[in-house]
Amino acid sequence: MNSRNRILGYVRGATGSRRRLAHPGRFDGRYLLDDDRAPWERFAEMFSAAGGEVERFGTEDEAARWLVRFAEGFESATVGATVPSRLRPRVPLACPDLAALGVSVATGAIAETGSLVLDARDGRRSQLLAPTHVVFVREKDIHPTMVYALGRLRRDLPSAVGLHSGPSKSADIGQILVRGVHGPGRIIAAVVAS
Amino acid sequence: MSFADSPSEYAAASARILRDEPTMRTAVTGAARSKDDRRRAAWSQIDIEAWRDWARDLKSHVLTHLDRYLEEAERRLIENGVRVHWAETAEQACAVVASVAVVHRVRRVVKAKSMLTEEIGLNAHLETHGIEVRETDLGEYIIQLLGEPPSHIVGPSLHRSLDDCRRLFHERFGTPLDAAPEILAATARRVLRDDFLQADLGVSGANFLAADTGTVALIENEGNIRISTSLPRIHVALVGIEKLVPELEDLAGMIQLTARSATGQPIGNYVSLIQGPRRPGEPDGPDEVHVVFVDNGRSALLADEHAWETLRCVRCGACLNICPVYRQTGGHAYGWAYSGPIGAILAPAILGLEESMPLPFASSLCGACAEVCPVRIPIPELLVYWRERAVAADLTPPMERLAMKAYANLAERPAAFGAASDLVRFLPIVKGGRALPVLGSWTGARGAPEPSTERFLRKWEQTYGAAHESSVRGKEEGQ
Repeated sequence: MNSRNRILGYVRGATGSRRRLAHPGRFDGRYLLDDDRAPWERFAEMFSAAGGEVERFGTEDEAARWLVRFAEGFESATVGATVPSRLRPRVPLACPDLAALGVSVATGAIAETGSLVLDARDGRRSQLLAPTHVVFVREKDIHPTMVYALGRLRRDLPSAVGLHSGPSKSADIGQILVRGVHGPGRIIAAVVAS
Repeated sequence: MSFADSPSEYAAASARILRDEPTMRTAVTGAARSKDDRRRAAWSQIDIEAWRDWARDLKSHVLTHLDRYLEEAERRLIENGVRVHWAETAEQACAVVASVAVVHRVRRVVKAKSMLTEEIGLNAHLETHGIEVRETDLGEYIIQLLGEPPSHIVGPSLHRSLDDCRRLFHERFGTPLDAAPEILAATARRVLRDDFLQADLGVSGANFLAADTGTVALIENEGNIRISTSLPRIHVALVGIEKLVPELEDLAGMIQLTARSATGQPIGNYVSLIQGPRRPGEPDGPDEVHVVFVDNGRSALLADEHAWETLRCVRCGACLNICPVYRQTGGHAYGWAYSGPIGAILAPAILGLEESMPLPFASSLCGACAEVCPVRIPIPELLVYWRERAVAADLTPPMERLAMKAYANLAERPAAFGAASDLVRFLPIVKGGRALPVLGSWTGARGAPEPSTERFLRKWEQTYGAAHESSVRGKEEGQ
C-alpha cells in the first residue's frame, strides 16, 4: 500500500460512520441585491478603494489615443500577447523584467470585488514585473459577481488566471502600507464601453 | 533569542518576551488590534452571519465527503498535467519536495508564504540538501533574515517595528538608519527580483483547491506568490488534505470571506487560480507543476468525534488578532508554526497531545475567538476538550492533579470546606505572595489575591439578612 491509498483509507475510516452534511448551494453575497448600479460603477468603486486607478473610454479609439499620451512618460514597455495592435503603446519594447510599463488585456472583470481577470495566454511576466500596469477591459465583460465570473471562466480555463484587484502592497514593515513590493505599484484599469 | 522551540517552553518564553522585549508586546498588540478593527469594518458591510453559515456548511460538507473530493481532485489535476504526490507525514512531504529539487538539479528555491511549509519544516530540510531557499513574502523575508519563526499566521513579522526593520536593512544592505519604509521595500524588491529570475523552483502552499477543475487558489497582496508560481520552471504546491472545495464557484465565497476575516479587504489584491503547467501557445509559466497532498495528522483529527471541526480552519488569523492572551506575547511564545487559539487546538492533532502541552491551557476561555471565527469552529469548547484529554492522560502537573482532587473532595463536604476555608483565611500568608503553593503552574506566574476576612455565607447574611439564608437553607433541606 502506498501513501495515497493509506491516506484515503484513513479518511474513509474517519468519516465512515459520521453523518454526511449537504453542500450549502451556490454562494450568494446577498448585499448586491441592494446595488442597482451598473457593474462597471461598482467595479470602479471597489478597484479605486483598493488603490487602483480607473479610466473609462467610450470607444477603443479613445482608449488608443489615451494610451499613446499616457505611454509617452515611459522609456519602455512590455505588451501582452493578446493585446490588439491598436492598443500597443508607441514606445520601445523591452523584456518584462526591464520594462517600465506593462500593457495587458483582461478577459473580464468582477464588479463585486473590483477584480481584473488576467489570463496566462496573455503572458504572465508582462502582467507582473513592470512597475506600472495598464489593463484594458471591455465594459460588457465586467461580471456582477465572482460566482458568475468563475462560472464563465470554467468554460475555457488556461494554465493560470490572476485576479488583480489593486496595486502590489504590503504592511509587513512596521504595519506601514507601501506599494509596489513585487508586482506593479501602480495599476490602471482602462474600461472600454464599446 | 526569546522564541520558544517547542510548546513545552511556553511559560518560560512568555515570561522572557514580556520581561526582555517590551517593544514586542506593543507591536503585537497594536498590529492585532488594527487587524481586528479592519475585520470588524469589513464584516459590517456584508450579511456576515449568512456568510459564516455558508462557509461552515461548505467546509463540513467537504470534510464529510473528503475521500470523494480528494479522488476527484487527483483525477482532474492529472488530466491538467499536474504531478500529484501524497505525504502522510511532515518528513515525507519534505522528502517529496527535496526529490523534485534534486532530480532537476535545483540550486535555488523561491517560496511563496505558506504556513504548511512552516509546519513541516521545509526550509531547513531543503538546506540540508544544499539548496538555497529564499522567502519572498516581505514579512517572511524579514524574519528569514532575522532567523526568527513567524509570529502570526497572516503577518509573520508583525512583532517587528519599523525601527527593527531599519536596523536590519542597514546591517544587511547599508540603507540609512532613518530610511522610509518605501526605501526598505524597494531594496527588498530589487534583491528578491534577482532571486525570482534565477530560481528554478517555486514553492507555494494553497488557500483552497477546487476539486472539479483542479484549481489551486492562492490569496495575497504583494504579487510574490503570482511571481513565484509563474517564473521558475517548476512549481510545487503543498496542499493540506483539508483544503479542498467541491467546485470552482465555491472559491468565490471562501476567498472573499477569508480576505475579509484576515485583512479586512474585499479580496486580496492578487488571487492566483492555477490549473497546471504552461500550455502550448502560452508565452510563459512553469513547465512542471506538482501538487503534494499532505496529511500530517489531519486524517487522525478528522476521525476525532469532537475535534474534527478544527479542520474547517482557513488560516485567517482572526482568532489570534482578538485573543487577549496572544496579544501579550505574539506567536513566538507558542513554540510552533500556528500560534494563538487555533494553534492551541491544532497542536494536539499535529504534534500530539503530550508535545502540545500546555498550549490548550494558554487561554482564558473568554470566548472571543469563537465570535470571530469565519467558519464557526467552537474553539473554546475544543480548548476545554483537549484540557480534559490532557487531565485524563495525566499530562497536567502531578501536584496540580492532587490539589484538584483534594479540592473536589472538600467541595462535596460543606463542613470540611468551611473549616478548610477558615484555615486558609488565618494562615500567615505574605500579601501578594503564593497563596496555594501546591498549584505551582497556576501561581508561579501570578500573584494571589488576599483571602476574604469572612466566609461568603456570612457576608451574604450581613448584606441580605438572615431571611435569605434561611430560605436558601430551607430549599436545600427540601431537596
